[in-house]
Amino acid sequence: MVSIKDIKVDLEELNKFKSRNAKERLDFIDWWVNYMKNNKDKKWSEEQNVIVDSQID
Amino acid sequence: MDYDMSKREVKLDRELSELDNFVIKFIKLLKNYVIVSGYVSILLGRTRATEDVDLLVPKMEKHDFISFWRKVHDEGFWCINTSNADEAFDILNEHAIRFAKKEKPVPNIEFKVIKNDLDKFSYDNRIKVILAFENLYISPIELQIAYKLFLGSEKDIEDARHIYSLLKDKINKEELISSLETLGVFNKLGLLENGKY
Repeated sequence: MVSIKDIKVDLEELNKFKSRNAKERLDFIDWWVNYMKNNKDKKWSEEQNVIVDSQID
Repeated sequence: MDYDMSKREVKLDRELSELDNFVIKFIKLLKNYVIVSGYVSILLGRTRATEDVDLLVPKMEKHDFISFWRKVHDEGFWCINTSNADEAFDILNEHAIRFAKKEKPVPNIEFKVIKNDLDKFSYDNRIKVILAFENLYISPIELQIAYKLFLGSEKDIEDARHIYSLLKDKINKEELISSLETLGVFNKLGLLENGKY
């Protein structure tokens, strides 16, 4: 089995990914807010509740 | 959703989540409170889960707390920290105590007493959220955004961005700037607009 010590990681590339990922998450928030503004509260909240209640038994 | 800054009211015709119903059941046991932090953004539409809901209440006399404690347990909640009311009251003077549905750890209410000027400001300037069958009280929108930037994790920044993006045309910009300055995060203003410092 390959040890984690033997793996070469391009930290510069990984940091670029981290920044890109953070930006994409913020972009999605803006997209979602736009979706909320263009749909009735009942519709977006029903969809949101799938996530909100996902950790509740 | 409609936010009226002058009335300090949000009207929200949302489908209630199980989390909303959990919060509503708990706050019905309280006369005075303000909800702060993450659940505010979730109530206002943010797509994420949470394990706790932060609640601030005015300082309670012991006999009021004991009465509240009994009501909480009668309504099917338990305190995660302790089963002893006297001990819970003592903890509350220093820290938060957590209440959840009996035999469940999450979601839970992180129950805290107002201790400082920031807590007091949140309570004194709370916003009424009008739902179909219940009203909830949340911290001021502008302070909520600034506080989330102050906390500063990826999740918190996203919460701030969500509320700002949703209500930026309706909030008090001067109040937002003052809140950012008070919390020392004016330099993070760019995160709200374009995601950059």
